[in-house]
Amino acid sequence: MKKYALVIDHEACWGCKACEVACKQENNSTDGVQLISVLEVGPKIIDGKLDFFFQVNVCRHCDDPPCAEVCPEKAISKREDGIVVMDYEKCTGCQACIEACPYDAIAFDMNKGIAQKCNLCHHRVDRGLIPACADNVCLAHCIYFGDPDEIRQMISKKRRFNK
Amino acid sequence: MTEFTYSNIKREMETYGYDSVVKSHCRMCHGGCGVLVYTKNGKAVKIAGDPDCSINHGTLCSKGIASTQLAYHPDRLKYPVKRVGAKASGNWERISWDEALNTIAERIVQYKKAFGAESIVMGYGTGRENEGVIYRFANLLGTPNVLTAGHFCYGPRIATSIITCGSNPIVDYENNPKCIMVWGNNLVIGNSDEYKGESFSVSLEKGAKLIAVDPRLTRIAARADIWLQLRPGTDTALALGMLNVIVNEKLYDTEFVENYVHGWEPFVKRVNEYPLNKVEKITWVPKEKIREAARLFATTKPAAIQWGVAIEQQINCADNNRSLMALMGITGNIDVPGGQVLFRAPKVRTVAEFGAHKKLSKEQAAKRLGADRFRLAGNFAIINPKCVWDAILTKKPYPVKMLFLISSNPVMTRANAKEVYRALEKVEFMAVSDFFLTPTAELADIVLPASTWLEMDYIGDFWKRHGYILPRRKVIQVGECRSDHEMLNDLAHRVGQGEYWWDSFEGALDYILEPMGTTWQKFSETDYIRGEVTYQKYKKKGFSTPTNKFELYSTLLEKWGYDPLPQYREVPESPLSSPELYKQYPYILITGMRSPGFFHTENRQVPWLRELHREPVVEIHPETAKKEGIREGDWVIIESPRGKVRQRAKIFAGIDPRVIGAQHAWWFPERKDPGHGWDESNINILTDNAYEGCDPAMGATNVRTLLCKIYPE
Repeated sequence: MKKYALVIDHEACWGCKACEVACKQENNSTDGVQLISVLEVGPKIIDGKLDFFFQVNVCRHCDDPPCAEVCPEKAISKREDGIVVMDYEKCTGCQACIEACPYDAIAFDMNKGIAQKCNLCHHRVDRGLIPACADNVCLAHCIYFGDPDEIRQMISKKRRFNK
Repeated sequence: MTEFTYSNIKREMETYGYDSVVKSHCRMCHGGCGVLVYTKNGKAVKIAGDPDCSINHGTLCSKGIASTQLAYHPDRLKYPVKRVGAKASGNWERISWDEALNTIAERIVQYKKAFGAESIVMGYGTGRENEGVIYRFANLLGTPNVLTAGHFCYGPRIATSIITCGSNPIVDYENNPKCIMVWGNNLVIGNSDEYKGESFSVSLEKGAKLIAVDPRLTRIAARADIWLQLRPGTDTALALGMLNVIVNEKLYDTEFVENYVHGWEPFVKRVNEYPLNKVEKITWVPKEKIREAARLFATTKPAAIQWGVAIEQQINCADNNRSLMALMGITGNIDVPGGQVLFRAPKVRTVAEFGAHKKLSKEQAAKRLGADRFRLAGNFAIINPKCVWDAILTKKPYPVKMLFLISSNPVMTRANAKEVYRALEKVEFMAVSDFFLTPTAELADIVLPASTWLEMDYIGDFWKRHGYILPRRKVIQVGECRSDHEMLNDLAHRVGQGEYWWDSFEGALDYILEPMGTTWQKFSETDYIRGEVTYQKYKKKGFSTPTNKFELYSTLLEKWGYDPLPQYREVPESPLSSPELYKQYPYILITGMRSPGFFHTENRQVPWLRELHREPVVEIHPETAKKEGIREGDWVIIESPRGKVRQRAKIFAGIDPRVIGAQHAWWFPERKDPGHGWDESNINILTDNAYEGCDPAMGATNVRTLLCKIYPE
């Protein structure tokens, strides 16, 4: 089975946050609950130069997801295609997954009393649609969806051309 | 294996059961992008970029995506209202469109008769493609006074480029410049005007060299090959320093200079007044870096300068633009593929013709407020706002009795906000057309509910300089809202202008398109129409200037009594020009950094966009913060000689320790009192609008650079 992944080329990201709003439009998460978020890093001195960049934080769909392991309700599972899905119907709001996530990529919806995370728009993927944030929204074309190896090759080719 | 393709319209329709998808043209900023509007049960439910649009290629910014939240916002004004209490009392009463427009029409007729048409000032903020129709109404009425942002936003690019080379030179990203110099612009966040972050990003991917000129470390500056972190407001000096290098190292395009420029010798003399030692002192930029940037820009072909509004909101507005155009010109990058192109619009009626400027009598035009002082602006039908506030407050040179502000919020966006507020409190009659009851609208007598772009038919980008027009198609109707175009078309009939207008505004769209032999109905079935693309038109026809040359030396500025060559004027309030004041206000304040999701005063009530920034933020260097006892996230007071406001401190090493960077246009729509916090964090409480600090030719108000102190609340 082919694996799916969402890969962000952080070098190209401008921090425009179109992906955040595209996610909101698709998933309509509660105010304050961000399934994808763009974070500022720096400015700090890197290799003798003042650098400043953006980092997009979103569920990594880990190979061995620690959130799934700790969930007492078995609400989180990894599909064969690599997507880690949280079933909101099963979530009781214990927040064990939030503690377990090494990437701080799971949010808690205070209104609904449940955890929420990026499910890689599996409802779209299953119908042959690209996840909302990756569906040609990004001005920098820096959000990729598909096979992780192919994406990495594509990005490194782009970098070589750029240099 | 499933095949995934971008913007898969067919599958979107099947998956979500949408009823239709309409191609349209977004207008959440000063330009526009092609969009797909998906509808269900008569409502617009999803917005996406149009992959077939050659402006944005399917991408879309946060503002565009959130358009449905703006259109269906619960606080939107959905019918006309009249004020029934004191100004800013918040007491409004619903009225009919007939009552609203008849009341406005009666006032217009009455003031015109008693005080002359010039006593009525029409206005708009950042032009939202209503400028043509507003000028048409004003010119036919006989008032020369249209109050816009044109004195310090985009208007200067149009005015200075027309007098220099005939039109606004637009970066030709389609043909991938090899070097891009981004000058005081964050187009990947703003995406406004002809410039979209998408095409810029693609050019960088293709390997363009990047030079950034910015007092702040933006991501563009961080990615740049060379970042010139200049002292705010010294752009003309920096550009003249680069020109000095290019001229003296003979890096210019000799063929272009010999055949197509006017005033080379005096121009060389002028740039020689700006040797790099002097420029380094003025700008704080090390001379080696200036030289390196000048060489890279001049020797990489094609090269282009990405500019924007920041350099226009300064005392050196016109000369900032003119010195950058000199850089484009003498390096041979004007009107060449991948450089900056004087694009031709499709052959439709121009916005100037539609604006009926020729219908304004010379006698009335001569009464344009401030036109004797700001003569470049005056010749382009643009006025400085303080002239209007003064006419209201002092009745000089004549009284202004009525304001009609359409999509404008000057209480937030014009310098010296307290004076603006006093003027709006005093003006005898004010009508406003807007989406919400803004702090400005709260001072009006009548407020009309304006349509968003989703609710109108129009010829998108009709007035832009990239050579495209795109149909904006009406998708929905919200309440009784009307587009500014339909509203003015109706009002025109009520004030006796009917013969120049149409039964419905579709007639106007047909009129604009008529020279192409097409109609709105036919045009609305296309994706876009592009003007003929040709390069180096000047080789056959020269430039459309009085000398037919690229005017480094402006014969028109000379005729109007100005220095015909660019010169650097010291910032009106600075460590050098006001050293005494600097002792009390020891930091340089810059204003107006761009934030994703907001467009000036707009969108702070749109949940998806407000979530991106909850509160106003001011950037402070870590050393400065330590010195002033300010910690990350503290509320701080920023104070200038005009007043004080509060914003949240963000400790940011990407700004010079001598400079503070504040955000503009902050109000708090969630506060239900009629002030909506207009004076709490509004940076224009601090800015100055004195005539002496404005650009002498363009009347641009210097809102970007002033002196301040800053301390914890």
